Amino acid sequence: MIQHQMDTTRALGEADVPVVARLFQKILRKTREPATPALETYLASVFLDGPDRDPQISSFVHLRRDGRVNGFVGVLPLPLLAGDRPVRGALCGTLMVEDHVDDPFAGARLMRAFLGGPQDISLTETANDISTTMWRKLRATVLPDHSLEWLRVIRPAGFAAEMAGRAVGLGDVLRPLARPVDALVRRRGDGPYWTHMPAGLPAGTLASAEVDDGEAAALFVELTRGYEVRPDWRAQSLARMLAESRRKAVYGAMVRRKVVARNGRPVGLFLYYGDPGRVGRVVQVLHAPGQAGIVLDSMLAHAGETGLVALRGRTMPALLEAMLGRRFIFVHASSSIVHARDKSLIEPFVAGRAFFNGFAGESWSRLIGDRFD
Amino acid sequence: MSEPVHQHIREFIVENFLFGDDDYELDNGVSLIETDLVDSTGILELVSFLEERFEIAVADADIVPGNLDSIDRIAAFVARKRGEGQRLAG
Repeated sequence: MIQHQMDTTRALGEADVPVVARLFQKILRKTREPATPALETYLASVFLDGPDRDPQISSFVHLRRDGRVNGFVGVLPLPLLAGDRPVRGALCGTLMVEDHVDDPFAGARLMRAFLGGPQDISLTETANDISTTMWRKLRATVLPDHSLEWLRVIRPAGFAAEMAGRAVGLGDVLRPLARPVDALVRRRGDGPYWTHMPAGLPAGTLASAEVDDGEAAALFVELTRGYEVRPDWRAQSLARMLAESRRKAVYGAMVRRKVVARNGRPVGLFLYYGDPGRVGRVVQVLHAPGQAGIVLDSMLAHAGETGLVALRGRTMPALLEAMLGRRFIFVHASSSIVHARDKSLIEPFVAGRAFFNGFAGESWSRLIGDRFD
Repeated sequence: MSEPVHQHIREFIVENFLFGDDDYELDNGVSLIETDLVDSTGILELVSFLEERFEIAVADADIVPGNLDSIDRIAAFVARKRGEGQRLAG
């Protein structure tokens, strides 16, 4: 084994992938199961040959003095447009250090290595409390309007059964009991109620229709065009992200639909995952200016008709405003954060004029919500 | 080693990692990691303090226990960095 004089960080290499996969299993998935070849292959694909690959923006590993890899920060290049000006963005995803209490220097050095990269804007959408504190110490800006998890209960008894099922493993017993209760509760119309969504669709709810990858890609570009800072997706990269986002086995089946106005014009697109009787996970809601509310209504109507018990997702400023009055519940789980040496690049994020989270993040990746058996 | 540097570092550690507890017996040679006084966020906070207070540039490779794990080591590191800066300026 090569002996290093001191701990160090360096760019991720192909030979590091098996160790990174092991750390991923141990630290993030908290399992003793060994990493599968499928996980190793996917990690290599995302972090060494990901969409929008930039040879100067890399993921980093941390090496102990004995040369052993004990830390990793996964970095995804994210080309952006600020107005018409291309800027280099980089997204910090996975940050993990083995036995970090014994080696507090490793996490600090990985963070500094990432933020010292050539990108103009550094971002994360999944910072836990420790990472958030580290970002703050490095003068980053936390974005509260992007950092809330929202939840909309559709079937309260089914939702309670789902939660109880996760906690004590009685889901299969409780779900059938919940159905008649929800049928009764959902007869209560009018509202809105935070406890449930009535069975009947509210007047004026817009229809939605499935979209294929090509139409979804076109809508992604069209419906983010109005943001001052937005992803500068290459067609090939967006196509790959859309294809990979199909698989999130832990979350359930993918639902990807456009919302259509009465004149036939698409005014929004939603993408969620979930199966009947379960809580659906929303990864993206896109909307034309001023249409966030009716797109949310259409998505909730579809989830209700599909049999989901609730939907949850991540806030964005425009969505947050539309959610007021629609009886959503909000909690904070992880933080979205931005860092830039040029402070003028941060302002659009703070003011809600930047498109960030979901596909302008890492939520499209199979690392979030898929299995690698 | 100049005592004011030790004093500034000590004051920073007491204020930020000991929450102002002056009664804590903090020897200049005691390990900040082994005594659980600093974690990874504390390291970043300490590095930012050193860069701002002593006007030195801390490289990633400098962030190692040998430079930052005790008041003595931090003070020696600051002295080395300042010396480097003066040599470069000269």
